[in-house]
Amino acid sequence: MNRIIHQGNLHRWLIAGRLILGVIFVVAAYMKLKAPWIEFAGSLNAFELLPEWALEPVAKTLPWAELALGVALISGVWQRWFSLIASLLLALFFTVMVRSYIVGLKIDCGCFGPGDALGPKTLARDFSMLALAVVVTIGSFRGQNKMRPVIA
Amino acid sequence: MMRTLLLLIPALVLSAQTAPVHKAAATSPAPMTNFKISGNANAAVEIDAYTDYECPHCARFFAEFMPQFSADYIKTGKVKFVHRDFPITQIHPHAQLGARFANAAGELGFYDIVVNQIFKTQDAWSLYGKNTGDIDASVAQVLPPGAMQKVRELVKTDPRLDESVKTDVDMAMNVDHINSTPTIVVVSNGKREPISTIMQMPYSIFKQYLDQKLAGK
Repeated sequence: MNRIIHQGNLHRWLIAGRLILGVIFVVAAYMKLKAPWIEFAGSLNAFELLPEWALEPVAKTLPWAELALGVALISGVWQRWFSLIASLLLALFFTVMVRSYIVGLKIDCGCFGPGDALGPKTLARDFSMLALAVVVTIGSFRGQNKMRPVIA
Repeated sequence: MMRTLLLLIPALVLSAQTAPVHKAAATSPAPMTNFKISGNANAAVEIDAYTDYECPHCARFFAEFMPQFSADYIKTGKVKFVHRDFPITQIHPHAQLGARFANAAGELGFYDIVVNQIFKTQDAWSLYGKNTGDIDASVAQVLPPGAMQKVRELVKTDPRLDESVKTDVDMAMNVDHINSTPTIVVVSNGKREPISTIMQMPYSIFKQYLDQKLAGK
């Protein structure tokens, strides 16, 4: 009985975490999409990682990908896989941000549109998001595996 | 004698240019903004650039971005260009004075040369350089003495210089929602698109974007 209650709580926490992640991705996408693509291209170029030819395609597609991911997370379809994609994407963003901070780039992270300076606060924020995504991903995979015998 | 006459010609031209302006200054309360506009007034695309005279990135904007942009789009009449003042006076104590000097010079027909000079000599007077605030000395290097004297008078006495700045600041705050400089705003089909990352991108990317706008895409 206790185990069932425990699993029920875990399930609710996973839903809450997934919804928070989904809303974060939708907001991040909206902030980028309401500005012209070139604004985000400038933010991307500041990281000094992408070649010039890649700026326009990445600036035009990444916000839409974030929006799709956010909507998918909120809807709950293929929860394990979309939470895994969110974790990988946030890990990539966080790695790029840490690298830029370490090399001393004084730039906007561009995470939620312009005016979002890269610094300890943005790093802490993105690390929290990454941690949440990892927890949701692990929880989703574990929860799914534990559910199977019960359903069977 | 010939040399004296040659020296007198610019002075006469200057007095001819400035006399009506002084009359206008005394009678008209309208903001003086026309000298801030260049390029093709009827172009389908307008580019507004918000700058602060004491912002180092704005000095870079004028040194690195503007020459190429001007050659490609302003002088060719492809766009209308509007330079707008956005002095962030909370952190830049001399920015407003810089704008006053530039706008006073603009009234006398020396806007571009003085704008470039103020930015070019930023290290000599700005907070990030020697912090003397002596913009007068920088401007005096590029203006004829007569014009410089008139600029000094306007800077000291003309309230419209601040009104002109206020008009731009109101536009920045209430219409374009700008919070950093330099920011450019691309205006086409009645839509205003601020771009604050202009100094973070290669010129070729901006050109690609602007060419798409001009082609109506």
